[in-house]
This record gives sequence, C-alpha cells and structure tokens, in this order.
Amino acid sequence: MEGLAETTIDYMLKLGAEFADLRLEVSTGTNIVIMDGKTKTLTAQQESGCGIRAFAGGAWGFSSTNSPTISSLKAAASSAVKMAKVAKARAKHSFKIIGAPAVRKSEEYKCRQKPTDVPIEEKLVFALQQDKSMRALDPRITSTNSRYDDLEVDRIVANSFGTLARTRERWVLGACSAYARSEGVLQRGHASVGSVGGYELMNTEGAVQLGAEAAAQALRLLDSKPVPAGKFTCILDSKMTGMMAHEAFGHACEADAILAGASVLEGRLGSKVADEGITLVDDPTMKNKFGYFSLDWEGVKAKKHVLIERGILKEFLHNLESSGRMGVKPNGSCRSQGYNSPPIIRMSNTYIGPGDWGKDELIEELKHGLLIQGSQYGYVEPAKGQFMFKCDEAYEVKNGEVKQRYRDASLSGVILEVLNNVRGIGNDFLLGDPGYCGKNGQSARTTDGGPHICVADMVVGGLA
Amino acid sequence: MADMIQLAERTVKYAVKLGASCCDVLVTESRYSSAEIEKGSMKQANSVLDPGVAIRAFKNGCSGFSSCTGHDSHAIKIAAELAVSLAKSGTPDPDFKDLPGSARPSKVGGLCDKRIAELQPADIVAMAIELSDIAGDDKRITSVNANVSVGETGLALANSNGFSSSQTLSFCEMGAESVARSGAAMFSGFDAGSSRKLEKSMIAEVGRNSLEHAILGLRQTKIQTGDYPVVVDPLAAGFVLSMAIGGGVNAESIQRKRSYLVGKLGAKLGPASLTVYDDPGIEWATGSYSFDGEGTPSRLTPIIEKGVLKSYLYDSYTAGKDSVPSTGSSSRGGAIWSFRGPPSISSSNLVVKKGDLSLAEMIEETRRGVYLRLTYDYPNLATGEFSGLMMESYTIRHGELGPSIRQATMGIGLLDLLKRVDMIGKKSRDAFGVRTPALRISSAKIGGSS
Repeated sequence: MEGLAETTIDYMLKLGAEFADLRLEVSTGTNIVIMDGKTKTLTAQQESGCGIRAFAGGAWGFSSTNSPTISSLKAAASSAVKMAKVAKARAKHSFKIIGAPAVRKSEEYKCRQKPTDVPIEEKLVFALQQDKSMRALDPRITSTNSRYDDLEVDRIVANSFGTLARTRERWVLGACSAYARSEGVLQRGHASVGSVGGYELMNTEGAVQLGAEAAAQALRLLDSKPVPAGKFTCILDSKMTGMMAHEAFGHACEADAILAGASVLEGRLGSKVADEGITLVDDPTMKNKFGYFSLDWEGVKAKKHVLIERGILKEFLHNLESSGRMGVKPNGSCRSQGYNSPPIIRMSNTYIGPGDWGKDELIEELKHGLLIQGSQYGYVEPAKGQFMFKCDEAYEVKNGEVKQRYRDASLSGVILEVLNNVRGIGNDFLLGDPGYCGKNGQSARTTDGGPHICVADMVVGGLA
Repeated sequence: MADMIQLAERTVKYAVKLGASCCDVLVTESRYSSAEIEKGSMKQANSVLDPGVAIRAFKNGCSGFSSCTGHDSHAIKIAAELAVSLAKSGTPDPDFKDLPGSARPSKVGGLCDKRIAELQPADIVAMAIELSDIAGDDKRITSVNANVSVGETGLALANSNGFSSSQTLSFCEMGAESVARSGAAMFSGFDAGSSRKLEKSMIAEVGRNSLEHAILGLRQTKIQTGDYPVVVDPLAAGFVLSMAIGGGVNAESIQRKRSYLVGKLGAKLGPASLTVYDDPGIEWATGSYSFDGEGTPSRLTPIIEKGVLKSYLYDSYTAGKDSVPSTGSSSRGGAIWSFRGPPSISSSNLVVKKGDLSLAEMIEETRRGVYLRLTYDYPNLATGEFSGLMMESYTIRHGELGPSIRQATMGIGLLDLLKRVDMIGKKSRDAFGVRTPALRISSAKIGGSS
C-alpha cells in the first residue's frame, strides 16, 4: 500500500499539482442492533478506497475511488489535479501550502482485545444482555434498543512533503435506549460508552451497566414536567459543560470558520472572551478517549490545544492550509469521515478545566435557577454567534435546594456572552459520553466534558 | 445497467444457495461532483466515484446485512457469505413475513436529468461562482460561503421473490451562507435548494434569499418570554415536520409504541384545512423513486386528510406484522441511494397541501407575533414535545416584519402544534424532504432573553 501511495503522489506532481496528499484506507466493521429482545440487524461492513487531493494556486481538487489499484488511483489523481486547475482558474485568492516536516511513521493504537478476534456470537450476547437488563428492571419499560458498533481502519496518509504515515486504529461503542410508559406518559432514557481501543471496553462496569442506566433514566423521567421557558441561571453537569465547550466555543475556534469569515471570534486572538476562571482545551492525545488520535488525517502530529487560557483566546484549531495562511504552526486538527470525504478541521476531546467550587456549594448558592443534567445534542452557527444544546433532565433549584424534575430542556446562548456569564466552576471533572460531531456532511468521533459550572442568563426553551 | 441487474440477480442466487431463506441485493454506481466557495473565492472542486453492493439476507426472520465497496466479484462473495452467516447468528423473528414480490415499478417521470451527467467541472464551478456573486451582491456582505453538488446514481435491486429492476436517479443541490456586518452587528443568512433536475433558476433564488436574510438579520432585538402566534417559514416547517410527521408515522415507532401518534389512527389531529401526504411520484422532487429500497412500487400515501390521521408509513417488515400492504416507504438514503447501510422506513416527499394566503397576508393578519425562519431542533417523538432554538426569527409588530430576535426559543407539544395550525400559505417550497407552504401556529411558548 505504501508503494501505491508514493507512486500516486509523484504522479500528481508530474501532472502539475503544487501540493498533493492522499488517504488510502481499508476498514472492517460490525454493527448489531437489538430491538425489544430480538436482533433487528446484524451488519458487517468492508470498505477500501482512496481519497486524493491536489492543490494549485489558491484552490483544491479532490477525488476518490473505491478501487485501490494503481490504474484507479492514477485516474482519481488525474481527476483531482484537473479539478484543482479548474478551481484555481476561478479562485480570487492565491496562497501556498507551507511546507511541514515529513512524518514517516507506522503506528497501531493500543488495544487488548481486537474486535475482529471476538466472535459475532459474543458481541451478540453482550447486546442481548443489555437489552434484557432494561426490560428486567421494571415492567414500565415497554420498548428497548441495544446497540454495539466496532470499526477497524488501516489508513495510510501520504503527501508531497514526504509524509508517509500508517495508522491502524480501532474503536468500539455500546449504547442503550429505553422507553418507559405509565398512565399515558412515555419517556426515553439513554446511555452509551465508547473508546478508541478494543473489545475490552465491553467488559467494564460502565458497559455492563448501560442497560440499567438507560432504563433508570427513562423511569425517572416519568414524573417529570415540561420545563418552564425563560431566562435562568443554570448549573450544568459535566456532560452539559462539555456540550457547551464544544458547541458554544469549539466550533467558533475552528480556523476554517475564521478563514471563511464566518466566526464571531475572527480578530479576537489574545482578547478576553471568557471569565478568567475558564480554560478550554481540545486534546486529541487523551489515550482511549473517543476523540483520540496521535496523527491527524494530514499526517500532522496531534497535540493538546489550549483554546482559552484563563479567559483569554489563545489558539485556533488548524490544518496545513489554515496554519500557513494564518502564520502559525500546523496543530494536527484535520480529519475526514472516510477516504471518500475531503479532510476538514475538527475537534477531538473538548473540555473546560476544573475550578474550585464544590458541586454542592454551587447549588447552595443558587437562589432560583435550574440544575441541568445529561446531554442529547447541540448545534451552533458561528456566524450568527448563537448556539443551543438539549439536556436529558433538569431540576428546579430554589434557595439552594433541588426540587421539581423537568425534562427535555433546550438551552440557548450567545457565544461572546456565555463564558463571561460564568458564576462558578466546580472542582469535579468528567469527560462525558462518546458522540459524533457533524460538520459539512461529515461525522467525527468526539467526546467532551468538564466540571459542574454555573452560568447566568441562559435562555431555556420549554412548554410551560 | 444490464450488468448491474445481472450482478444483483447472481448475488441473490448465491446468498440463497448459502442458506438464506430470502434475500435482496442492491448494486449501485454513484458519481457526484461539487464546487465549494469560501469567502467569495473558489476554494475546492470535488469528484467522487462510489460504486458498491449491499446484501441483506434473512434466516428465520433474522436479518444479516453486509456491504462492500466496488463491484469486485470476490469482495461480493465474501459480503454475501457474511450476510448469510450473520442472519444465521441472530435471534429468530416470527414477525418477519416476506420481502416484496415481483411487482412492476411505478411509472414516475423526472427521476433523472441526463444534462447533469454531462456537466463538466468548469460548469459546476461556474454555477457555484454565480451563486456566490448573487449571495454577496451588497456592500454589507463581508463573506459568502456556498456550494453546488450534482450527481447521478444508477442502481439495480433484485430479491429472492423474483423482483429485479433498475432506476437512475440524479440530483442537483446547492446552499449559500451570506455573512453581513454593520457596525458591531453581525448576522448570516442561509438558503438551500434541491431537485432531481438541473434548475438554473435555483441559483438566483437561493442566492437572493441568502443575501436578503443576512441583511434583514442585522437589525436585532430581544423578546420577552410569553405565548405568541408564530408564522413558520417553509424552511423551518420542513425541518420540524420531517420529524414530527415523517418520523411520527413511522410504523416501526408505532408498533414499538415509541411515537406520540400511537393509537391516533382515525383521530382528528388538526383543522380541516390540514392535509399531508407522502408522494414518491413527484416529478423532479429529490425524494422520488419508481420503487422503494425493497422493490415495492412507489405510491402516494395519505397521512393526514382534512385534519384526520389516515395512515402510517410501512416497509415490508412492519406491513407484514400489521397484515397490511407496504406503503413503499423503505428508504436506502435520500436523493442518492447508498449501499452502506440496511434500508429503513422514511417518508419520501412529504407534502403539506397548500392554502390560500400569501406570506405577506399571514404576517399582516398576525399583527403581533413571531416569524420563525430557521431552526435545527428535533422534536422528541416519544413525549411529543418540541423545544428548540429559533436560529433565525423576527418579530411581527403591527402586521409587519420587525428586527431579528436574538437568543430565543420555542416550545410546543406536537399535537398542539398540529391543532393550532390556523393559516396555511399558498406558495410551497421543498425543504428537508418536505414540500410545504408557510404555516401559522396560533400560539406557542417563546422563551426570550429580554
């Protein structure tokens, strides 16, 4: 495979590419879905292909093929160079890709039990047991989903700076959803675990308890009420703090949004953008976490990024292009969903660092507000400067006491205001659930987290 | 295409020989191209070839699925063996009855525009530049990011009941984001369009809408928390209704009692003016097809007729379980079918029947309220509740559109949302798989930051 990659890069340079790179991948994966005690689908996936990029002037050409043979690669390479030249002819801005040190490395991420060595029957037993554990917990659990996923990818990244890096990565994920019904009320609970690594994760307590956790949440929510709408001071748990770090700030720190003129953080590097207690980090080097990688999809060594340090905006997330155009070193933040998608700037493991308040102290100090727990999803438009995220559970807090349980609250905020409205940062810390971040039609495995955190003036969407 | 049909048929036979009690095989050959504009400058042109094969095998009602990239016979054999082996590994499922029979596909016009396959990279780049130029045609616009994608999928589907057919589907999609600044104010306008046809007029429409809303949003205000009438733009209505109705009537969610619409068949959900149907036979609409992802001929399915819930959406599994005919709602993806996952139930083109009011008349009659143009929030189908951010919204004061609203949310129960539709627009557009006009909801809870 390495020879194929280098031959293709050389070929593109001969065709006139100023810079060229490729991602040659072979992957295999498993997906098991159990619904209500029966297998819904058992899926095996086999993929192989190559995504090829050529750069000319101020524009890129990208092409991909599902057939990693020399003739197909050359055809795709020709197409990429042709696309780059066509795009260059109409580009208004001209720039270069600044040379980066060549990386020549072969690495296999640590894994005790390769998923490909585990028989499908064993994976099936795991998923069936989780499904059963949900229904066994309480007769009010009326419907259940249990899921198991694994993927093994062998990826070669090569470029015309001399990089030839091979990475073999594996990740696994388990997830459960439970539906509880009582007196006409239907509620859903969910739980998931995931890591870059092997099947050993499925033998951990967190994985074995997935079904019980999801079912317990669904049952808890049966007596919840719709949350009241309006402006509240909110205490976010670790999962929601992580979601806020990711949505409210992480996306606006992606340098492609800056170059596109579509981030409210443009021109604010070195400025105060948050309370001085806030340090916000994106760190792909946290081993085994769901957002882990050691080399990015351009072959650049991954590193920890301190995006905000004590309230000051310090760094953006870069790929080779943005780092060159903005005059900084590449920091290894480029990823693609698969060989057939062009690599773009992505987050990895994103979190806010801990402070010095106890969780109970944060609650005791809150006169009137909400305690927000568990995250469902979130999104942001960095150009509008607005974001939202949705929680699993919320609780009324009155005079320092936790009261009525609410469900399904959506929280919204303004990027340039929210981290200045922080009223207290907890001394606890948890990196939350595995998730997939969507951007430009691609998804990337990520995780996020932080401490409990108290934020004023959040607008809560509710029915009451 | 004949080669692909033969490949699908051969693979079906092989899977049956391996022990599958029934089986279907999808062979696809997709190619698509796109051009991306960053900050008003041509940035990237893409060309992707994506052939593949999907094999779904059943044994004792259990489904095993496997896919592989390319059309290599060795890889397909391995995939077939995996699919059959997986089907044998799972639990028996007596609720599975059978795959569709060998019915003739429906005649649907407007599935493939041959001009799309003839487009050269320079043509697609030129379309993206034209879109960007229109979306940036104002001195207050500081950046335009835009993209145009076109493509075509040839696909062959065969199953062990003798179904064997093919269709070719094309698509043309585009989107633009205009970023406007004035003093300290910054706002972005977004618009998108899609069709199976190469529609040059779409460029001007998407560009103009993107530009107009970026400028409109610069004037900003806050709103107090309260109950307001809400005029919902087709863009926001499409996003919410694709899940609220399209997802709510998914027969699998109904049978597993996971949807707020369980037990509502025959119930009055909305006013007599509210009619919604699913129609995969609309010429040039991106959800159209002549047969669904399992080979059932496409057909129109009334969902809500004059306010009354008439039908759920079925694939062969759920139809067999309820002993009703499939509605042909098995999906292998949206505009372009994918070999990468098993089929699942989805609406095709969900259509909300038009009313007789213009958007201006709806705003004028509302007097004081909110105009919601864009949200990306999903309703909770289990609880039947929606609460989300109004990503782009405007006040309505004295019957006129006012400033854009900063940081506001909307909350409403989905049954209330349907019940409170009291005005329906007369001009529809396609958004997120839904062809819908603007709707007015008589009252929803708005969470504001004022």
